[in-house]
Amino acid sequence: MNKLLTGTAIAVLTANMAGAEAHLTFMPGEGEFTWDSFQEFAGSTDLSGQTLDITGPWTGDEKVKADIMFDYFEEATGATVNYSGSDSFEQDIVISSRAGSAPNIAVFPQPGLAADMASQGLLTPLPEGTAEWVADNYAAGQSWVDLATFEGPDGEEDLYGLFYRVDVKSFVWYSPAAFDEMGYDIPESMEELKALTDQIVEDGGTPWCIGLGSGAATGWPATDWVEDMMLRTQPPEIYDQWVNNEIPFDAPEVVNAIEEFGYFAKNDDYVNGGAQAVASTDFRDSPTGLFEIPPQCYMHRQASFIPAFFPAGSEVGVDVDFFYFPAYEERDLGNPVLGAGTLFSITDPSEAATAMIEYLKLPIAHELWMAQGGFLTAHAGVNPNVYADASLRAQGDILLEATTFRFDASDLMPGEIGAGAFWTGMVDYVTGASAEDVAERIQERWESLN
Amino acid sequence: MAKDDDGIAGSKTSLSLVTNLSVIFLVVLWLIPTVGLFVSSFRDRDAITESGWWKSPFPTQENIAVQTEGEFVETPEGWVLTGNVFGEEGSGEIVAFGGSRAEPTAFAPGETGELVRGRTLQIAETGDFTYFYPDEPSRNPTVYIAAEVPPNFSLVNYETILESAGMDVAFINTLTVTIPATIIPILIAAFAAYALAWMDFPFRGTIIAIVVGLLVVPLQLALVPMLQFHNQIGIGQSFYGIWFAHTGFGLPLAIYLLRNYMVGLPRDIIESAKVDGATDFQVFTRIVLPLSFPALASFAIFQFLWTWNDLLIAKVFLPASSDSWVMTVKIADDLLGSRGGDWGILAAAAFVSIAVPLVVFFTMQRYLVRGLLAGSVK
Repeated sequence: MNKLLTGTAIAVLTANMAGAEAHLTFMPGEGEFTWDSFQEFAGSTDLSGQTLDITGPWTGDEKVKADIMFDYFEEATGATVNYSGSDSFEQDIVISSRAGSAPNIAVFPQPGLAADMASQGLLTPLPEGTAEWVADNYAAGQSWVDLATFEGPDGEEDLYGLFYRVDVKSFVWYSPAAFDEMGYDIPESMEELKALTDQIVEDGGTPWCIGLGSGAATGWPATDWVEDMMLRTQPPEIYDQWVNNEIPFDAPEVVNAIEEFGYFAKNDDYVNGGAQAVASTDFRDSPTGLFEIPPQCYMHRQASFIPAFFPAGSEVGVDVDFFYFPAYEERDLGNPVLGAGTLFSITDPSEAATAMIEYLKLPIAHELWMAQGGFLTAHAGVNPNVYADASLRAQGDILLEATTFRFDASDLMPGEIGAGAFWTGMVDYVTGASAEDVAERIQERWESLN
Repeated sequence: MAKDDDGIAGSKTSLSLVTNLSVIFLVVLWLIPTVGLFVSSFRDRDAITESGWWKSPFPTQENIAVQTEGEFVETPEGWVLTGNVFGEEGSGEIVAFGGSRAEPTAFAPGETGELVRGRTLQIAETGDFTYFYPDEPSRNPTVYIAAEVPPNFSLVNYETILESAGMDVAFINTLTVTIPATIIPILIAAFAAYALAWMDFPFRGTIIAIVVGLLVVPLQLALVPMLQFHNQIGIGQSFYGIWFAHTGFGLPLAIYLLRNYMVGLPRDIIESAKVDGATDFQVFTRIVLPLSFPALASFAIFQFLWTWNDLLIAKVFLPASSDSWVMTVKIADDLLGSRGGDWGILAAAAFVSIAVPLVVFFTMQRYLVRGLLAGSVK
């Protein structure tokens, strides 16, 4: 599309309007989007003729949604964005960067891999000032800066990633109809949740569906449980020390958190199929128990992405809903929230790559995906009314109002622990081993790394 | 089978019966996963999670929640709602019903079910129901029924795959990769195999040993250095690169297989041709090549199947953009959904993608058997 270089921002946008109607999903200027920032960006950036290659973990429907967000970058700058998603992104990006054919930007599903690549000099630090911007404009901003600040090859610390799209993990999913018929109330504290669990057993039902199966990654859903329990039994500082192995994995605090998970998962009466079924049930199949008649279970603790695996046609807010996985009232640790997120990093610097990072700072880049559903953001400047439905807005509020936000510990631990020993340890634990033994073995493995 | 009269044939027959039975048993055992996959390819994701494929041909009893519609009518005794659980136009037969999610099959059709707070519910087999409330209802209740659901198979998965945008491009891309990646290594390997089998030159044995040694090098080791090399010589991630890669990774086996076959050809024919004044090239094209056809064909099948099914090399050596996706990448990264939960699509995709290799295999399989045996039996 030809653009008038001399026009003002508004003029440029009006000139584009006619063409925009044809291929843009949301009309610029319409709806509750924050269009001002977009117009300003469009007026000040011109990258006509440049291409920007991006690879990331979003495939299928998520790729479609990401592409729509990138369309507006193309519209604003005239550059061409080639986004490709891969099911095996973690392997592909390592191979292509080592071989020297890296894309301009890589979207990492977890910071651990990005930290590895940064230390090998395969990533470029984000433009100066980005760290300050994130600290000021994201909810719990400094924690997002810290999570994406890595040591480069020269040992110097820099901000290497900008978080875009967050998953919140501290949710319990349930069927409102089932709760209504049985007269159950949403528990406000961990004490109430435990009482409700017993109440359901008393009424002849099964309270929980827990499934750890996930092919080669079997065990990861249990790590989320343990992390959530850690945040609900210990102050966040202890959690951070655990992540960095400043307290050993077999410290009493950690063992206690594992046992808190075991309180639910290792009780035959509490889990659908009995404790033995926990390790062998696939995490993708396990929420279907909520929808069966009679219900196979009443509650399922899983991250905000899980509605993708609910049976076809079920609607969040109608057939199924969620509540915040509550904290202990007696411990006074506030409302901790566990989450994870994807971050944009520059793997092959170019003018367009820098512009993309600038674009992602705009509220509009976040709102465009928020409006399509399945997206949460920590960006404090977005208009929450844009969220596709009330349920997402409520999830977003939980994220923005969290008194403590902590990132998924297993994603931050060294790969061999967080994506290995921790997973298999949890499978051992639910199939019979004691929490002390499991924690001790993980700690030994961690020590052998150094 | 011919009838045996000599009295000792009985043992032979029972032995062959045992052999036949065990062969049938093994064949069935080996086919089970494929049959399961095939059946699953006609079922949708929810059905696959709900029950095993072996249960799919039979009708199942399913519990269904029905949100009632219409308005309660006030009567002297209380409020009454009537209607049909299958809706105005639908029809069906119910097996049992209930008033709560926890007990969806508490009552038999026609019975009057006593519910909480003095409410009653009656549902006939046809689905006509009468719901009675002693006090004013605040909202329409949900009723639960159990009904026989006939087996449900559909071609939806296949339609999704075949009609998805870009599938034709992916198909052409796969052919663009596989055909040259099959022909190039055969051409090179045939020359090499002839030289290693029939031409005298120093270190011939050493070279053969090296080729055999290369067979055990895992190709994953070579991915990064090879791609680096491609970037240096300027072909980068492209179809040239993937032909090059497949050729390199296929050559050791091709040379080894063809050389072993050629070395087993009768020495007399080749020597008499040389006595008649034929050059090595003429011997190769006129005599050795036609005689080696079974070995060439069997290697071609191997290489074709392997390059057709390959995902790893295609992901590494082809550009990541969707216009250069081959079928395997298209299926894994696009069709399987965001987190790979669509088992039905996966099963159907497996059958779509093996269609072409099956045709190749069945048209050339007689060569495959001959090629594999040739050289091993003198």
